[in-house]
Order: sequence, then C-alpha cells, then structure tokens
Amino acid sequence: MRNTVLVARFPKPDFTSGYQYPDVLHRVPMETFWSWVDVVLLVGMMGFVAWAIHRRRSRRAILAVSIVSVLYFGFFRTGCVCSVGSIQNVVLAMAGGDGYRLPLVVLLVFLLPLVFALLFGRVFCAGVCPIGALQELVNVRQWHISRAVTSALSFIPWVYLSFAILYAATRSQFIICRFDPFVGIFRMGGDVGMLVFGVLLIVLSVFVGRPFCRFLCPYGALLGIVSRVAVKRVKITHRQCINCRLCHHACPVDAIREPCGGKVAESRTIGTRRVALYLLLLPLLTVGAALLLQSQSDTLSMAHRDVWLYTQLRSDNPPAVLPAEVEAFHEMGRSMDELEASVVSVKESYRRLSAWAGALMGFVLGCKLVRLSLKRTRKTYEVDPSACVACGKCFSYCPQKDKAKRSTGQQVNESMCFIKNSQYEEKHI
Amino acid sequence: MEKENRLHSPMERREFLRTCGTLITGGGLASLGGVLGSKASAVEGETMWQIDPERCLQCGRCETECVMRVSAVKCFHANQVCGYCDLCGGYYREGVKELNTAAENLMCPTGAITRRFIEEPYFEYTIDEDLCNGCGKCVKGCSSFGNGSLFLQIQQERCLQCNECSIAKVCVSGAIQRVPVGTAYKLKDHA
Repeated sequence: MRNTVLVARFPKPDFTSGYQYPDVLHRVPMETFWSWVDVVLLVGMMGFVAWAIHRRRSRRAILAVSIVSVLYFGFFRTGCVCSVGSIQNVVLAMAGGDGYRLPLVVLLVFLLPLVFALLFGRVFCAGVCPIGALQELVNVRQWHISRAVTSALSFIPWVYLSFAILYAATRSQFIICRFDPFVGIFRMGGDVGMLVFGVLLIVLSVFVGRPFCRFLCPYGALLGIVSRVAVKRVKITHRQCINCRLCHHACPVDAIREPCGGKVAESRTIGTRRVALYLLLLPLLTVGAALLLQSQSDTLSMAHRDVWLYTQLRSDNPPAVLPAEVEAFHEMGRSMDELEASVVSVKESYRRLSAWAGALMGFVLGCKLVRLSLKRTRKTYEVDPSACVACGKCFSYCPQKDKAKRSTGQQVNESMCFIKNSQYEEKHI
Repeated sequence: MEKENRLHSPMERREFLRTCGTLITGGGLASLGGVLGSKASAVEGETMWQIDPERCLQCGRCETECVMRVSAVKCFHANQVCGYCDLCGGYYREGVKELNTAAENLMCPTGAITRRFIEEPYFEYTIDEDLCNGCGKCVKGCSSFGNGSLFLQIQQERCLQCNECSIAKVCVSGAIQRVPVGTAYKLKDHA
C-alpha cells in the first residue's frame, strides 16, 4: 500500500515564539441518537395508523401521519436508511459479505414494517413510508387501470427485487438506492436523471394512485405477500355491504374486487385444467428462468468493480485516456494475481446467485399465473389485502358508516347510492 | 362421511389456509429476525463513512460525486504533521513565479486555504471548510511536495450517511469505507 509511512520531507518546525498547535475538534453528530428516534417514530406511527385503520376508521388521521412522515423521514432525515433500501443490507448480512455487520437499527427498520403487515396489513405503506406518503398527498384523481395491466405491471417489483438481491449479495451495487427516484427530491438535489424520473412519477401520481408503490417498490411486494395472511384485515365497512360501488371508484390502488357471483362463463373442468397446467408449469418456469439468468451471469458480473477493472486491464484496444480506475490500480500496486483471484470468486458467486434470482422471478411469475386463474366468487365488494395500502379512502366513501360515525342519523339505502353512483358516472365518464 | 365434508364451506377452508399462512409467515419472520439478530450488533454495527487517507489518490471524484451540492468531503489539516513551510505545495501552484496571494498563484480554486505568519520562516495554514469543495488539489500538492499534512476526509456533520455512499461507489482506490462510530474520524495526526 502507498504511503503507509508518512513522508516527512520537512522536519517538524522548532517554534521559538511559543506557538501552540491549534486545537481542532471534529464533531461527530448524534447519528445513533437520531436513528433510534427513527425507530421509535416508526413504531409509533405504524401503531397509530393501525389504530386509525382498524379502530378509529379515519382517513384524516392517515393524512396527518403522511404529512409528518414526508416532513420528518423525507425532508428532515433525507431518506436514509429506509425500509426499502434495508432489503439490501439484510441480503448483504445474510450473504456474509466480508465482515459486514448489520446495524441493529437497520434490522429493525427492515423487520418492523413486515411484522406490522402480518398483524394489521400494509400500515407502513399507508403513510409512514415517506415515498408512499408523498404520492398519496398529491393524488387527486383515480384513473383506474384494468386488472390485466395491474397484474402484468406488478411483476416489475419482483424483477427489481431479484436484481437488488443479486447485486447486494455479490456486493456490487445497491441498485434500490441508486435508482431511488424520490431521495433526490427529499434532498433537493442529486442525479438529474433520477430527479426528472421522480418528478414524472409525482405528476403521474396526481392521476394514478401510487405508481411507485404498485409497480416499482420491491419492499411493497414483500409487504403484499405478508399482508395477504394478515391477522387483521382492512375492512371497507363493518356493516353489511350494499354493493354501491363507491369504494371501488374511490380506491386509488385498484385493490377493491368487484362481486362476481354468476359471472363464471366457462365450465369448472376447463378452469381446473388451466390451474393444473399452470401448477405444472410452475417448476418449469422456475428452472427455465434460473437457467436463462445464469447464462447471462458473466455479463451481469460486470457490475462488480473488480470484474469491470479486470476487463478494462485485459482489453485488446485500451482507450487513449486510461480510466482513473486503471491508473489507480497501477498506482496502488495491487497484484494482477490478487485481482484475478477476486474476479474468479466474484464470477462464481454470480453464477450461483443469478440462478437463484432467476428462480425467484420464474417462481413469482408462475404463482401470479396460478393466482389469476383461480376463480373466486364474491357477493360483495372485497379488499384485496396484498394490493391494499390501507390508505383509508374507502371508509370515507362508504355510505355504510360504522357505529362511531353514524351520528348524522342518515338512513342510507340502495337507491340513494344509486343516485350518488350515477352522479359519479356523469362526472367521470 | 362425504356429507360431513361438504358441510365445510369454501369460506371455512380459506380461513383455515389463511391461518396456516399467518403462522408460517410469522414463524418465518421470527426465525429471520433471530438469524439476523445474531448477526446484528447495536454497538459495533453503527458505522459512518470515512476516507482512509492512506489509500486516497486524490482523483477528484469526491468533489463531483457526492449527493450534496457541495461535497461533504473536505480538506483536513494535520498541524502536527505540517512543516509550516513558506513555499507550500498545497498552497502555491507548481512552478509559481511570485509567492503572493494572487489567484493565479494559488492552488485552491475556491480560496479556502488561508495562511498566517507565525515566525521566520513558518506559516500556519488553515482550511475554511465552508469554502472547501473537496477537490483535493491541495492534497495532491501537499503529498507530492510536502509532508502530506493535508488530506481529504468526510465531514460527519455534513455527510448524509447514505446507505451506499455514492462517492465510495466510484472511488478509484476503494478508500471510502464504513467505520465504527467510535473511530468516526480517521485523522493523520493523533494528537
């Protein structure tokens, strides 16, 4: 290594005027203190949202949490570390990257929203996550997207997650952090491309509810899986649903499924056969995707700096101006054998992990196909727990108010809802 | 027997499957927490980004790659190492004709280095961190011609502690790493 011993070209001055060396104090901010404040607030806010969703059944409380979250987690704490990005730290710790120690705070930031999702649904997404909160606050219109498009797009987070795991486990890059479109907005500066992307997403979320959460967020995909088996599910109303469709119109994330009693057009055997076919296809898809991604592992491994450096050093026609990395390599006196050994081991782990990442993608794709072909009968409007972000909008639209809020004494009947509904159609179609 | 089976409605079956799912997921989360908890550490785990001054090659990326508009990387000065020279390699440009404070003679592009006469022939050099942009030109000059008392370091009060430091990602010598909070400043003088 260079400079291990300080070069003292000039001797230490021998002051005669009684000069004293100045006291330089480098202050360390209370980062540990603030990260624990983060954890406490995270738990407190998620608890509050859970109460607002399941007990108080109030949308206003969630909006309040959203504002606090955008201001505190977003603009004050400038986004790091967030639950979305903590996936990568956890993966790195699991992969046992050379001596990486997972900070306890990061572990809690990763686990707590999942635990809350298992208990109460996606209360983290509702307004505690500053990314979701920001999109929620600007959302005005609900342009509905068909189930087919939503299902297809909701595969993207899984692809994103697979690559994030692959790159984090091989210690190449933290792509979730690198391609975070909102962190630049919270910091009011940063990569121009990502800032433009972030602004576009915010503009889009004025019309479509939470485009990032639904079609990009890898942590949202995990929370969706967990909240599917949540102990307490989000309910539109505790009273009898009157099928007025108002909640369906209001839902910003298309999480409310329509009743489909007698709509099954095909015979039961065809449906069963299709499910069986997809179930058979599931292992094939998993293995196929694993092999496909593994065949690309050498290309993917270029994301690792050692592999990239090695190819630069070994390239037949080096560029006129050598990249700074190559110059640094020569200057640092690192041996070629050492680099080669590192490249071999990195490529090996890429071969192994890209297969797993591919398998994850293929498996999820197969599961999505199976799920789409499972027929459910519903007599009333129901919440799809994995897609629901617990924003509470449906409560405020539902005419079947809960006991606590029935103070208006209004007797709601179906004909009235019909009128409301037809007004809605006039306005929006 | 068959009749009894039919009494179980699909709703009940679904409810049962969901409870199983809840238990499995809960168990999974608990074991994940357990495994990770054993790897996590409350004291040692808390880390901050720092430059290893011994590895830094002053490539100039610290100035441009930080997510802050003005980089959180600043030039630090180890007075205990400094030679207090008049002709300072970090203060004056190479091959300078006159030793005066005209801008064309000075190394620092932002005028962040000031010097104060102490006694013949010594000068004390000070960095104004508000002006410093972390370009490392003075550091290069000082380590090429002087004692290497100037060095680049991450100013913790300005650093946002990004999950992945965007300078570390492109650092040519891999000099930027997370260090435990206790050793948050890697300095050159340990006075």
